[in-house]
Amino acid sequence: MSNVITICGSLRKGSFNRMLANALPALAPAGMTITPSPSIEMPLYNADLQAEGWPAPVIALGDAIRAADGVILVTPEYNYSMPGVLKNAIDWVSRLKDQPFANKPVCLQSATMGPLGGARVQYHARTTMVFLDAFVFNKPEIFVGMAQNKFDEKTGELKDEATRSIIKQQLEGFEKFIARHKAHND
Amino acid sequence: MLDIVTICGSLRKGSYNAALIRALPALAPAGMSFRPSASIADIPHYDFDVQAGGFPTSVTAFADSIRSADGVIIVSPEYNWTIPGTLKNAIDWVSRMKDQPFRNKPVALQSASIALLGGSRMQYHMRQCLVSVDAHCFGRPEVIVTHANQKFDEKTLEFTDQQGRDIVKQQLEAFAAYIKQFNR
Repeated sequence: MSNVITICGSLRKGSFNRMLANALPALAPAGMTITPSPSIEMPLYNADLQAEGWPAPVIALGDAIRAADGVILVTPEYNYSMPGVLKNAIDWVSRLKDQPFANKPVCLQSATMGPLGGARVQYHARTTMVFLDAFVFNKPEIFVGMAQNKFDEKTGELKDEATRSIIKQQLEGFEKFIARHKAHND
Repeated sequence: MLDIVTICGSLRKGSYNAALIRALPALAPAGMSFRPSASIADIPHYDFDVQAGGFPTSVTAFADSIRSADGVIIVSPEYNWTIPGTLKNAIDWVSRMKDQPFRNKPVALQSASIALLGGSRMQYHMRQCLVSVDAHCFGRPEVIVTHANQKFDEKTLEFTDQQGRDIVKQQLEAFAAYIKQFNR
């Protein structure tokens, strides 16, 4: 049994990554619930602003991450790295006392219209997750390349069978990863 | 005259990176001038649906300041071992413009941090992003100011470290030569 949240790195309505996040519950093993995180839209990070108090969306995202058994980042790649909007949200919550990513099982997924499917964003995100001391899942990795051919653009449904199958494997592996982590930390 | 635009990755007033930018004019070779880029503080969160309604004025102003410069120096802290979200968000916006402002633009990197690696991880991630936007990224010497709390005056935030000042001088001289090779 695990309760997992997805953090989507794109804000646009027709985002392939949002479609991907939405496809996960149907591909998850029994006992794993997957729900979207609260909004990642928060003011641009500024330590002077932080000194005046935490913005409400920062608290909300921090609480949601802490309350989850695991987190799946589902994000596009912008300019060969993480979207600024997503990184800004991470920069904020990283400053919270009881830092929410510390020791948290985290799994990565990305979708892009190019052939690499967001590999570069994932390896940069892994670097950041080392600093945050998250517990990052390894393999299988999910890189959904040529996303425009793999989703139904109207319904948002993930149609590609090979992708659905590897996601199923990842989520099963992530469920075990979370369970092992829980057993070790109990 | 080489017109250099500086982009600061930190918004806080007491930023060591902002202090490093203030130190540049005194360390520059003759014929190099500096001005700050248009602010990145007021750029909204990147969202393609917002872009579809037109580029916000804060984005076009930031892009214009880059386009009109002979060279750009990005001076930024490292957050969580990579680029601050604020700075990356600004780059994400302008990267979507038709006359993409970083294309073929000479760019140099500097960073200051209170830790022992001085923001180097941010710089190497930034170099990867600058490939994406097709900038000409200057190589060496690198300016990586470690233990920044010991290298700036606590009260005035003046850049007091002589070794650091020398490296910055060398970088700016070499960056001037680097820019000129593209202007031939």
